[in-house]
Amino acid sequence: MGVTVLLPYQIPEGKTGAQAIDYLTKRLLALGAIHTGQFLVDCETYISTPQHGPAKTVHVLHDSEYPASTFSILDNGAGKQIPLVADNLFDLLMLKMTSVYTSKKQTKIESKGARFEYGDFLIKLGSVTMMENFKGILIEIEYRPCVVLSYCWEMIRETLQGFLGMPIAKEYPAYFSQQIMNTMGQQQIHTKQNEVYEPIDTINQYLESFTNYRKQNVLPVAGGATGGASSAQNAAANMQGGNQRMR
Amino acid sequence: MQMTQITNSKELLSTALQSRIIPNQEFLLQGSILDSAVDHLIHRLRGLCDTVDASPEQFHDLEVCLSLRQPTQTAPLMLRVRRALDRDSPFQLRYIGQPELDRSRPTLVRSSIDVGCTSTILDFLTELGCRLDFEYVSRGYIFRKGRMKITVSKIKAVPGKQQEIGSETVSQSYLVELSVLAPNGQDSIGDEMRIFAEQLKPLVQLEKIDYKRLGGLP
Amino acid sequence: MQREEKQMEMTLDAILSRLNDLKMSIGGMIQKLETEYEIINWPTFLDNFAIISSHLTGLSKILAKEVCPPLRNRTVLPLMLSQDRDESLINLTQGRVPVFSHDIVPDYLRTKPDPITEQKLIQGEQKAANLTAEVAMKQVTQYNKVVSHVLDMVCKAREEWEIESSTRAGIQQTSSMADTHALVSAVGMGKGLKANVSLNVATGSANMMVPPLRASAPMTSVSPGGVGQINKAPSGIKTNIKPAMQVHQFTR
Repeated sequence: MGVTVLLPYQIPEGKTGAQAIDYLTKRLLALGAIHTGQFLVDCETYISTPQHGPAKTVHVLHDSEYPASTFSILDNGAGKQIPLVADNLFDLLMLKMTSVYTSKKQTKIESKGARFEYGDFLIKLGSVTMMENFKGILIEIEYRPCVVLSYCWEMIRETLQGFLGMPIAKEYPAYFSQQIMNTMGQQQIHTKQNEVYEPIDTINQYLESFTNYRKQNVLPVAGGATGGASSAQNAAANMQGGNQRMR
Repeated sequence: MQMTQITNSKELLSTALQSRIIPNQEFLLQGSILDSAVDHLIHRLRGLCDTVDASPEQFHDLEVCLSLRQPTQTAPLMLRVRRALDRDSPFQLRYIGQPELDRSRPTLVRSSIDVGCTSTILDFLTELGCRLDFEYVSRGYIFRKGRMKITVSKIKAVPGKQQEIGSETVSQSYLVELSVLAPNGQDSIGDEMRIFAEQLKPLVQLEKIDYKRLGGLP
Repeated sequence: MQREEKQMEMTLDAILSRLNDLKMSIGGMIQKLETEYEIINWPTFLDNFAIISSHLTGLSKILAKEVCPPLRNRTVLPLMLSQDRDESLINLTQGRVPVFSHDIVPDYLRTKPDPITEQKLIQGEQKAANLTAEVAMKQVTQYNKVVSHVLDMVCKAREEWEIESSTRAGIQQTSSMADTHALVSAVGMGKGLKANVSLNVATGSANMMVPPLRASAPMTSVSPGGVGQINKAPSGIKTNIKPAMQVHQFTR
């Protein structure tokens, strides 16, 4: 377990999502990364029924990297967010609450794709789909030997620039520059980049990105958007076959 | 590690439910033992249970019971959060369903979901809309025999400022519980428990007790 | 007369069924010892013993009961002895007694004391015949003295034992139904615990949040506007934490 940075990838103009994924995959393999299977991060959002007072939202996420856990983030509607990591039987409990918290099925969103190992790095290329609609590409990069971002951000940045072939801003990503509250609610001097990284931080970054995608009503890539997700998957599947032959 | 296909967690869960590998039923027998005789019982349990050579394992838990009002149903959803006071371990969230008191069954059976979770759970449930019903501290010993769990514990109210010191114990006895968490359809475990309960007689009478029938709410 | 016979029959039936129970449990025990001697555990072994002894007690209770006509007043007379195999007898005794001959009758029907007993009896009779009346009287008084002394001792021991067993009966009460019910309803419904809770609902739940674990820090990442609002939170939380007496319990 290390530090993970999640990065929305801007698809170059004139390319489909599948093409972009294909391009990134080729670059990663050319660098010497090893394809190590698939990954999936999904998110379902439950909203409290109006009879139950002010609207509250529960986001329930799963990450194939942590297959025994269910991550939930409760938004009380007043700016307070409470994270919860639980055994995945928590999903059964959510089903018990259906009369109070109902799932917004049309906002079910997931990021799915290939997982690569590249030295100390773990890189995942995910195509984000909501209701089978392609929404964009999320790149997850984890530097595994370290648990504090400020110690390894430069290294992560360099690797990202290497395989994306484009410059990455020197500043820490927005998620890491927020101020940390202690339990008393007092602001501490240091920021997230100096904190020990935890799996829930990955989940928070995903939720942040998913929320942004949900807000987008217009799809970023106009043509072939619906087919994007499935063809990206096909590409991933083909790659995997090739990878197995290579071994 | 080659993962050929990642399956959705929801699908995994429903297959697990169908193949009956999720332990979601609790078989329970309850009884009590007077404080004066508890050493006798501990002695006997040490002889009968799996951990013969080791000294009995102790526990000291705080259990908080919360309920979530459901607009469409009359009965609220009851949830319990358990936290170890004597060691650092994950919090435990429990859902316990209505007990089935089928006469043909040797034990009380109720649906149960046990979930380990982070310490944020109470804050989470409170913001979710759950109300605190009551809480208590249970302190005692835990024994295992196969997949059976036997707890012998003292139940105490959480000392509040209005409460006098020492008046917090619920009774002059220890609560004794024999339980097994098993997947649906494994009813044979009930007979196993009955036989074990017989061996504790006449020290403790372990029975299936429907607390709802023990008089109305206070 | 008829009533007495009926009673007799009932008693015999009862004794018979008791004997059958006893026989079966002994048989079961023997079978267990023969077939499961490697895996049999101590509690089951003791259970078996307990069953056998309870059957024995039941049997002796029936025999000692005064309502049943004393069996020893009855006599059993062997009407016919024979050296031939008797199939019905074999059936009746489950193969144990094949022939009803003069060999076994004395043993089974107790028509004659044991040979050793018989010998001793004759010796005693001879001794008694040789005694003079004076010596005999002396011995009788001596004997009576000894017997009364022993009786005293036994009575004393019995008294002591009764006191002890009556106190032990008090100890044997190791569980109370009322306590069980109180505990079960406390754990199940909070009976007896709720009054306390209503006094400090807020503090009760705040206690649990106190542990200074990093994960419980509120996260503001997802909603960019959240930071400003969160800053107001401290005052509310602080007041909840105040009752120090409770805090120590949970941070231990």
